[in-house]
Amino acid sequence: MSQDSSKNTFVKTILCLMLVYLLGHVSPFLPVSSNSVFSNLSLQSLAYAEEDDEDEEDEDEEEEDGGGEEGSEEGAEEGGEEGSEEEDLSYLYDIGPAKEHEFEEFSFLGLSNRKFTWAAAQLHILFASFILGCPMFVVIMEVMGARRTQGVRRAIILSNVFLGVLIGVVIGITGEIIVGIHHGVLYGMWACSIGALFVSFLNYFHRLMSLRASALVGAIAGSVMAMALTPVEHYETSGIILAIINGAVGGVLSNGIMFAKSDYKFERLSHEITKVIGICYSFTALSGGLFLFVMLVAYKDFITYLIQSFPVLFMVAYPTLFILETIVMYVYVYSWDPLNKANKKGRHIVTGVILNILGLSLLVALDGPATFMQTPPKPYDELMNIGEWAKIANAAWMPLNYHRLVGNGTFGGYMVCIIGAYMYLWSSKKEEREYYDWVGYIGNLIGVAIMIPLPAMGYIFVREIYQYDATIGMYIMSDRESMFMLVQGLLVGTMFSASNIYMWVSMKRIENAERFFPAMKFGFVLIVLAATIWFTPRRFFATMMPEPGMNADMVLPDNLAFLALMVSKNTAAFCLVTVTFINYIFYTIATKTGKVAYGKINPLGPYVLIFLGFADIWLMSWMGTIRELSRMNWHVYKIYKDVSPEKFAPTLAESGFHVTTIVWTFFILMTAIIWIGIKYPKTKKKDAETPAAAPQMAE
Amino acid sequence: MNIDVIIIGCIAVLSALYALFNIFGVIGAGCGIALIIMYAILLKVSPKKPQEKSLFQNIKFKLPVILVLAGIIWVVAGKFNFPVWWQIEFVSFALVGFLFFTLLDWKTLTVEKKASTWVMRLLATYALASGIFITVTAQLPQFDPEFELAKLNKPPLKIGGDAAGPEVIAAGREVFENNKCFNCHKVFWEGNSDRGPNLGTKQIGLYSSDYIKEQILEPRKKQSPGFDDPKSVKAMPTYYGDDLSDDELTALVAYLKTMRDPTHMPVEGKLGSQWTWWDDPKIIEEGKVVFEGLEPNTEGLNCAVCHGKDGIPMMTGALDFRNENNPDTDKMPDRLDGVPLKDWPDALWYKRVTRGVDNTPMAPWGMIFEHLYLWKAEAYARTFHDPLDKRTAKRPVPPVPTKEEIEKWKTDGLFLDPLL
Repeated sequence: MSQDSSKNTFVKTILCLMLVYLLGHVSPFLPVSSNSVFSNLSLQSLAYAEEDDEDEEDEDEEEEDGGGEEGSEEGAEEGGEEGSEEEDLSYLYDIGPAKEHEFEEFSFLGLSNRKFTWAAAQLHILFASFILGCPMFVVIMEVMGARRTQGVRRAIILSNVFLGVLIGVVIGITGEIIVGIHHGVLYGMWACSIGALFVSFLNYFHRLMSLRASALVGAIAGSVMAMALTPVEHYETSGIILAIINGAVGGVLSNGIMFAKSDYKFERLSHEITKVIGICYSFTALSGGLFLFVMLVAYKDFITYLIQSFPVLFMVAYPTLFILETIVMYVYVYSWDPLNKANKKGRHIVTGVILNILGLSLLVALDGPATFMQTPPKPYDELMNIGEWAKIANAAWMPLNYHRLVGNGTFGGYMVCIIGAYMYLWSSKKEEREYYDWVGYIGNLIGVAIMIPLPAMGYIFVREIYQYDATIGMYIMSDRESMFMLVQGLLVGTMFSASNIYMWVSMKRIENAERFFPAMKFGFVLIVLAATIWFTPRRFFATMMPEPGMNADMVLPDNLAFLALMVSKNTAAFCLVTVTFINYIFYTIATKTGKVAYGKINPLGPYVLIFLGFADIWLMSWMGTIRELSRMNWHVYKIYKDVSPEKFAPTLAESGFHVTTIVWTFFILMTAIIWIGIKYPKTKKKDAETPAAAPQMAE
Repeated sequence: MNIDVIIIGCIAVLSALYALFNIFGVIGAGCGIALIIMYAILLKVSPKKPQEKSLFQNIKFKLPVILVLAGIIWVVAGKFNFPVWWQIEFVSFALVGFLFFTLLDWKTLTVEKKASTWVMRLLATYALASGIFITVTAQLPQFDPEFELAKLNKPPLKIGGDAAGPEVIAAGREVFENNKCFNCHKVFWEGNSDRGPNLGTKQIGLYSSDYIKEQILEPRKKQSPGFDDPKSVKAMPTYYGDDLSDDELTALVAYLKTMRDPTHMPVEGKLGSQWTWWDDPKIIEEGKVVFEGLEPNTEGLNCAVCHGKDGIPMMTGALDFRNENNPDTDKMPDRLDGVPLKDWPDALWYKRVTRGVDNTPMAPWGMIFEHLYLWKAEAYARTFHDPLDKRTAKRPVPPVPTKEEIEKWKTDGLFLDPLL
């Protein structure tokens, strides 16, 4: 009791101190409080508007002064007289000899301004993807591993809604792309999340136990609410069907998760990944700092402009979100064992969901400046007069959000594969090997599942760019970056192939799974065919017109050009996705109906997983490169020109080598992080246990 | 089997078939059904326990098979006129398939006993992945950054003096290329995309500069015939007004004005459903206005004065368009003997109208009036012996002129404009 009361006193004291602190710091701003918070959003715009006014005034003065040399001289004399009368205030802004300082291009070990920035940015994004992608994975795993206590069941309501939002967006967007459903994303998101919410509530009170009934209730509740909340002029059948499907999916998922039998393996998996997340978080911050420093040296004017364009974001929102996420992340990592011991798992799951919400908010917030650089809002003349929100919510913002959301999910899945594979290789005990074999299986399952809708997300992103300015799209598809896209096709084919090979290898250790092998082999033939068509270009130099040094004959004749058209590419993509999906179903059925001999996977399996992870991260870095280069010689497209000597697109070979170097760096760091985060503590524990174990044996 | 699995499976299959039908039509849905049947058959096969093979056992059978298959692929691809690089690509993918299947049937690797084994294997995995990506990116054809850099460093276009001289036309061609117009438009034989009209065979150069400018700056205002489907309507970007300077626009229009064909009627429509102006009711209607002297842009031109409003010649010697067997004039040294009016090549129609007939009232109208209207009048004139409503088939769309043919127009002086 006394301990509790002392705790309460401590909390109250802290709260009082915070209140006093806030009052003390807020009061100086009270006189300007008549301006709403939102009116300050366009702080920077106003500043620029003032500068523009000054410029206009200067121009007016010049025009008035103009009219022959005599006039100019008179003006100069007058100005001189006025100047002599005025007080010289230059000391207030004269920064001294440093004002003449000019930044020059630099090179170190073959790395230039651009390559340094490229490497730092890429590393930062890879670590950031890890700390955004893996927590999504971790929370779901934690829920799957938690005993269904009252608190956990309450937390599951929240986590189900969160999962409903994610899955609804993915299904919705896929419906929007394939069937062309207007507002498919909104239908999907609302229906799935509300379906999940309704069913979870009913599940919680034990009112709805049947899976089919949950699907029905989810479908009805989700679709009705989705139709009410989605702003459309008239309802279309396809939209309603999409809402019903999403609602049903939400209902089924909620029921499945709420009544799933907890499995400790999931708890252990999520806990181990969380340890790695903690270390990766520091690396995200470090690489972010590195990126900023490099930018301040390599592109100081541009980074200043960009940050000044988003004053509220960079001064308030980003630091707030970052600090909050850091706090919640550490709370999440370090409260794992204490909350488990206190039987408060539900609170821990809620913390995890909050961590994910904060992480996604951070991702969405920073996608604003990233997409602003690519698709600044039009008309350009008005750019300085629009608010900060309008700059964030530009044409490519939402598509990139969707793309990164799904991309990070895939990334998370494959990172778990890598962790599982590494730990499998580093483990000698049978139980450990069994467990990490299973980790690899789960990682691949999630990675593949999320990768399936990924091409659709990429498609809508590029479609939006085409609609914004076809020149960017053409630069990607039929100019300097066309060969980059060809490599992308090859990478996607490689990844799908590797995923399927892993499924094949791991099915060999499942009892009675061989009944699927003939069908799977047929699928492999289709994969090779589909990959061939995906790779086939209309011309290797897709500039339409040959340039000096190009071989003009490297083009398909007109009658064969259909192989390179979108319809063929879509068929190939559809085929790759479908075959993988079918194999995935075979794999799932095999694991459900046959005994899986975990720990006895062909040793090739872990290496395939590592290869897969490497290919995924390489592809991610490659796509980032394509997106950045697609702005051509602009830092902000049509707004802020890149006038540095490196304003051109580097060659494929140079880019390929540089991306490989970055991915190697990431993997070296990740290997060390996995060792430090998971393996090393085990070794230490084992060492610590050894002396204690000896006397026990003696007994 | 659980009823839920069956229901979900059926829904999934039907959705997939619907999606296939939606995207690829009946062929897509048909292929989908074929694949489903194939899968169903293969799932019914009861395979033996897979036997693991050593590398040698593995390739003993597969290597000869793949070599034969690669040979067949090479020959078949060659027969279909695939260029050699694509033949290499297909054979490479066949070899990838070979590696794929070798890997699938390969015997289980031995479990690592020593740390050095997994370290080596791990490094080999990374080396393999890196090797593939570095080699592929290094071996594929490369763009030369110097070319892009030279373009970026070029000073902005400034036109001084003559707004339609050869330098301006050349500059316009550069504007056309730099703005990726070739991405959607062919110019006669040049370019690969048929997304937009072929500006050469359409003869965009026949139109006025103002019209061409309007088409560039406000492409949604008037759609090219045959390109009025929703996708095509949105295809042409609307930002060229912001992107192009006045000088660039002038140069571009000067270049586009050169796109004319003195040997063929303009061609309209999308590839696969094209037609010539001979069969265009709207053009023929407009041609009638020109023919009868009612077109304000060709004031002073009235074909009906000699050839007759209803096709009955009003003047002795004037060509009677009603008689489809009328020969070419014998007053011109370049006359085409033995070819009746119904079979006159387009070039002859054009030549006789634009250059006239010596020592007759048939003046070289091409020196006076815009050729756009002359082509239209010719399209109408044909209807006297070949009425539009009685035609059973459209006139064939002529083949796209080759580079050599275009050069020949210039050397033969077929264009009246000395610039061309």
